[in-house]
Amino acid sequence: MMHNSIPLLNSLRFRLIASVVTIEIIMLSILVWNNISIIHTTHTDRLRDTASSILQQIANTSGRHMVAVDYATLEEYLRNTLHYNELAYIVITDRDDHTVISLGKVPEHKADIDTHPKQVKDGMFDVTEDITVANQFMGKVWMGFSLSIMDDAILKARNRGITIALIEIILTIIVTVFIGLGLTRRLALLSSAAAQVEAGNYSVSIPTEKNDEISQTATAFNRMVAEVDKQTHQLKKAEAQSSKLLKENRQLIHTSLEVQEQERKHLARELHDEMGQCLTAIQADAELIRDNSHGDSRIQTSAEAIINVSSRVYDVVHSMMHRLRPSILDNLGLTEAIKEEVDSFKNRNPNIHCECICAENLNNLHERTSINLYRIMQECLTNITKHAAASRVTIELSSTDKIISLKVSDNGSGFDVDIPARGLGLIGMRERVTSLGGELLLQTALDKGLTISITVPLHATS
Amino acid sequence: MWCYPITSHTAETSSCKPLAPLTFGILPFISAEQLVERFTPFAQYLRKYLKVPVRIETAPNFLEFARRTREQQRYDILFTAPHLYPQASKAGYRLIAGVDSPGMRAIIVAPKKSNIHTLADLKGKRLASVQPMSLASLLIKKHLTDNGLTPDVDVTLVITPTHDASLLSSYHGVTDASSLMRPPYNAASQTLRDSMRIIAETETAPHIPISVSTRVNAACEAEITALLLKMDIIPEGKNVLQHNRFVGFKHVIAKDYQRVRDHLLE
Repeated sequence: MMHNSIPLLNSLRFRLIASVVTIEIIMLSILVWNNISIIHTTHTDRLRDTASSILQQIANTSGRHMVAVDYATLEEYLRNTLHYNELAYIVITDRDDHTVISLGKVPEHKADIDTHPKQVKDGMFDVTEDITVANQFMGKVWMGFSLSIMDDAILKARNRGITIALIEIILTIIVTVFIGLGLTRRLALLSSAAAQVEAGNYSVSIPTEKNDEISQTATAFNRMVAEVDKQTHQLKKAEAQSSKLLKENRQLIHTSLEVQEQERKHLARELHDEMGQCLTAIQADAELIRDNSHGDSRIQTSAEAIINVSSRVYDVVHSMMHRLRPSILDNLGLTEAIKEEVDSFKNRNPNIHCECICAENLNNLHERTSINLYRIMQECLTNITKHAAASRVTIELSSTDKIISLKVSDNGSGFDVDIPARGLGLIGMRERVTSLGGELLLQTALDKGLTISITVPLHATS
Repeated sequence: MWCYPITSHTAETSSCKPLAPLTFGILPFISAEQLVERFTPFAQYLRKYLKVPVRIETAPNFLEFARRTREQQRYDILFTAPHLYPQASKAGYRLIAGVDSPGMRAIIVAPKKSNIHTLADLKGKRLASVQPMSLASLLIKKHLTDNGLTPDVDVTLVITPTHDASLLSSYHGVTDASSLMRPPYNAASQTLRDSMRIIAETETAPHIPISVSTRVNAACEAEITALLLKMDIIPEGKNVLQHNRFVGFKHVIAKDYQRVRDHLLE
């Protein structure tokens, strides 16, 4: 079936599914990437804002304690603040940059201050703020926020997003495959039906129960198939009639040619048997009259005239007999007849170099084969004389166990095979070959000469 | 007053330089923020002429301030309550000046809409007060006792962190009356004062004394003293005094403060 041989990449079904899935994957990838970016930004911004808020709150609250050097109260307050999960450490330094309070996992060395969690490289968002009271510097608060909790949250959110995206992609593939199969199944029906029509099955019909584009196409397809079926039936009928007529015509031609040959043969025999005998008798009587004229010159003259006229008539009759049916063909066979005809052609056309290559074992062919091949060869030489303007002609007659080949070639003007021939010679040759069950092949082009190759089965011989 | 030269004003170097930074200890009679806001110009004035950093410092409360003064001599320049100075003196602090003022009084106020008009009306009432060791608290207790009312028996004292808090306490109806020093009351808004009634005013107590610790050498002490006593004639000093609502500083006698302490804590 045609639809089974469609390459995968050309399959509409595959393209539809692949396109939808590709678009879905691209869009979901963008969505996941965007979500991860938003999640990351949201978490980092939240941490930044939280850190800023806590830092500001501590800086504001610490001022009065720093002025009062009430570090115990401040430390108690800061310990409560340290309960915040992400807060790793708090350090308070006084106006001389001496550490007065140190809580949590304080780094050994003073950390570089970060302005945003995105810039953090050591996993700790380190921030600081001056402690002021009435715009007077009282010290500094240093805080570190661990990014591990935020990173965990981001990782979980990212994994969740990716999982959702994967589920959606899988669902999309499943749904798309089902929908795609549903949509393309009917196209596949159309494709299958088209393949059946191509194979000659015009009884195929596609369901058109749904009112959509494919059903409309199917309806049009069904109408088209019905019309093609109708036209094909009419065409076949006409073809059969033509074929029958052609066969009858061909039979008629073959019969006609055969009758013509028989009639020619009969006529030649009649001319030989009747006219020849009569002319011989006339000539013999005229010679007898001349010899017994006893010196009567008038009688002698008349007798000589009768002898001359009868002789010329005999020549004419003999020539007619030869054209109607060369006696050499019946007496010596095809090879000798062709040789004689070639010799005659040479005599008539001394400027044309003619070569005859004939197998010697073809003198006992069936009469029908011999006469037809002879006539074809005769027609070829006549055409060369009339139209070819050739300087060289070759006639080859050969045979194998199964076929006889006759090839006549010249180096003349040739002709354009696409231009229909005005004469009937070529048609007659083809019909003769067909009547023998053989084949005729023309090889020619303008100014390229002409080669006519004929093969007939040997079984046509007796 | 005019005989004290302002050495630091003209000298290239200060005698206080080796002591840098100087700690300016101020009694926590108001909130830390208010205290810094109020005394920063004072500290900057000293810093400018002493040519050493002057840091404002206080303590969580009166008792802690007194303890740090007494036990640690934590503050180089001491701005403490009159009745607390004798203890500082015992720790080695040397009196150099006092706020030029006829004295300080505490008052008892009640909302005008209340039926409290005299001290007698306070019996059984709730009276807002400041820290127990404050001058205001001691003056009020003395005054109540002198007028036949036993604190925490006839009148329930409600401790508030500052003078303003004490005043607002009765204003908002949390207590029946408020006790505080006169200067903070005078600094309160007109609207608030118009709604209150002064029902009692205590006796006078000397104003704030200024002293220096033993760490401060004599030359530095002299410079500081001169800066304080000439503050009312130096333009920047005038601004500082105006900001602190002080008239100026003057020589004072240590015995006056011992007398107040003895009188109030007897």
